[in-house]
Amino acid sequence: MNRRKWGRLHWLLAATALMSLAIAACGDDDDDDDNGGNGGSVTYGKAGFKTVEIAAGAPVKIGVSSVTSGDLKGLGQPIVDAAKLAGEGKTIQGHAIEWVVKDDQCSSDGGASAATAMLQEGVVAAVGPICSGAVVAAQPAYEQAGVTHVSPSSTAHKPTYPDRGDVFQTFLRTTYSDDIQGPAQAEFAFKTLGAKTAYIVYDTDPYGTGLRDAFRKAYEKEGGKIVGSPEGFEKKATDFKSIVTNIQQAKPDIVYFAGFYSEATPFIKQLRAENKDVKFMAGDGVKNDEFTKGAGADAEGAYLSLPSPVYAGEGYTKFSALFEKATGLKVDASPYVAESYDAATVIIMALEKAASKDGDKLKIDLKKFNEEVRKTEIDGAAGKIKFDARGENAGGETPVSLFVVKSGKYEEVKK
Amino acid sequence: MNAPYIALSTAFWWDQFINGLTTGSLYALIALGYTMVYGVLKMINFAHGEVFMLGSFAGYGILVALGGDDLSGPMIAAAILAAIAGAMVVSATASAVIERLAYRRLRNAPRLAPLISAIGVSIFLQYLVLDRTEARAKFYPDIFPRGEFGAGAFQVAYMQAFLIASSVVMMLFLYAIVQRTRAGRAIRAVAENPANASLMGVDVNRTIVLVFVLGAAMAGVAGVLHGLFFQTIRGSMGFLPGIKAFTAAVLGGIGSIPGAVVGGYTLGLAETLGRELLNELPGVDLGNQWRDVIAFSLLVTILIFRPTGIFAERTATRA
Repeated sequence: MNRRKWGRLHWLLAATALMSLAIAACGDDDDDDDNGGNGGSVTYGKAGFKTVEIAAGAPVKIGVSSVTSGDLKGLGQPIVDAAKLAGEGKTIQGHAIEWVVKDDQCSSDGGASAATAMLQEGVVAAVGPICSGAVVAAQPAYEQAGVTHVSPSSTAHKPTYPDRGDVFQTFLRTTYSDDIQGPAQAEFAFKTLGAKTAYIVYDTDPYGTGLRDAFRKAYEKEGGKIVGSPEGFEKKATDFKSIVTNIQQAKPDIVYFAGFYSEATPFIKQLRAENKDVKFMAGDGVKNDEFTKGAGADAEGAYLSLPSPVYAGEGYTKFSALFEKATGLKVDASPYVAESYDAATVIIMALEKAASKDGDKLKIDLKKFNEEVRKTEIDGAAGKIKFDARGENAGGETPVSLFVVKSGKYEEVKK
Repeated sequence: MNAPYIALSTAFWWDQFINGLTTGSLYALIALGYTMVYGVLKMINFAHGEVFMLGSFAGYGILVALGGDDLSGPMIAAAILAAIAGAMVVSATASAVIERLAYRRLRNAPRLAPLISAIGVSIFLQYLVLDRTEARAKFYPDIFPRGEFGAGAFQVAYMQAFLIASSVVMMLFLYAIVQRTRAGRAIRAVAENPANASLMGVDVNRTIVLVFVLGAAMAGVAGVLHGLFFQTIRGSMGFLPGIKAFTAAVLGGIGSIPGAVVGGYTLGLAETLGRELLNELPGVDLGNQWRDVIAFSLLVTILIFRPTGIFAERTATRA
């Protein structure tokens, strides 16, 4: 009897194992579609724009899709706080603003379910998702509902150049694409740091793969050589030992990491245990105080980039004072808070214009709202913001800043 | 674009071999708990991965309490021994409590009942720790001396040598207990036939608790070694090593102690070396994910073609 039951259990386990295999196998897909500037004709998919009615005295709901727990809370929570600051003391034609915050865990399924949840609660617009993986997974849901969302920090290539070809009309961002960040990093690594060979390690989500491709293309164009095969890892990975052995074999001048600080921290510790000399460079996903805190001495000398200028305009100064007073955090230690404030500001301004009174009710035409958002031009906390047809921020001029870790602090370096 | 693997150096393959042994040691230590419990109870203790995680957190707590990064000199050795001992105690206690609360009442229930109970305990413990740590990673103090020793291409990092050596010592210790002591004889008797063992005066309940405690102590050691080596721990860390160790136990022949050890090392080496070979395939950019593909392909293959594993224990004759 035992044998028969155990036999059945075998099949069950075998099936489960096969499934995990299939999931593991489709975790990564390369996209080699070309990314030539912002030119070319842009066609939109069909968005499900509706007209929303807000009852008398009811608040207008705006969603925020971010990370509010776990390893990446240090990245996500300040972004939520900054977005909320933009709504302080403001109303939409007399209707209060209610923030609907959802935790998307920076993951694909998290992004999609956060979108579904907030759409069910009746949000008319949203800030986020903050991670590109979540954006790509959530875009169809927002598009179908006709709800415009503005990401303060999704930098990947994919959100504005989706696989399906047609651009998502409901997606915009106040940050800059990795098509700008990647080449800036490549140029810095090759020219300023003099690194002739690079080894690439990347997160397998759209952010990591996008940055990997942007960097690789630009680096090879500069004349640099990618050594060894680029190594992918998944979120929450802790074992980078085999990758480090590969790096030791390839002997690159620089290790390029496309991912987040939650994995960069164990990675650099394991790398430095064997190799103290190789240069290390990563992007905006790593530039966070949690990285310098977690990696300690091993973070020293790491190069990080951030696709937003170290901006000293009036909007930035005002926002800094406001943000630091409200949260007790430093603005320059919290990436994308200014962009988040701007994203929320753009949304609120456009809502104010698109909404119309109907008796004591408020009517919001989501199509008109989308048009208003796209038309908005502001001198925001993170610099000039205006959108191109793909929803890309086309306001800034030299948006990528570079940093090096010195005595546990980020110090800006000039190219 | 990439050099074919044949061109890779001896030092490279040696390093990857050591990496495989390191991972394999951890799998083997954890697999012992699965296999021993299966041996006596014919149940798969899916909460075992979480017992490993608890051990890792206990070790972390002890190291931090003893000074963390500020430890130096001989104090490091003392602190690591204390962490290992503490983790063994915590894991063993947790496992004994789990057995008492979640499994004992279900011992005579249909087989799926304790299995489901085990999955429940696993999820409960995982989310309890995730909640207590705000789901954030903790970093083990960076105290273990870095650097390596050896001759020519054959270098071994101190940490990896320590990890492999202490695992082997623990496994020999366990083997000695099971083979050479009275309690060990009781374990073997209960594994063979609980009813007869009880007629011969063996306290079955106590023996079963002992099995859980011994397996958990091994997992506790693995937890601290994992923390010292990879330096990053989190509430969800037990899941994948748990499944992998289970795979190792099945691979070696579930119920067999030498089987768990052989299975652990086989899996560790297959994953690490296989990953490097397959990574050279053009156009397939899976990197670290190859490891899971290899491990679970092995599990499927073994379950289909040789469910009794490498060391075909008595499972087949027990029908």
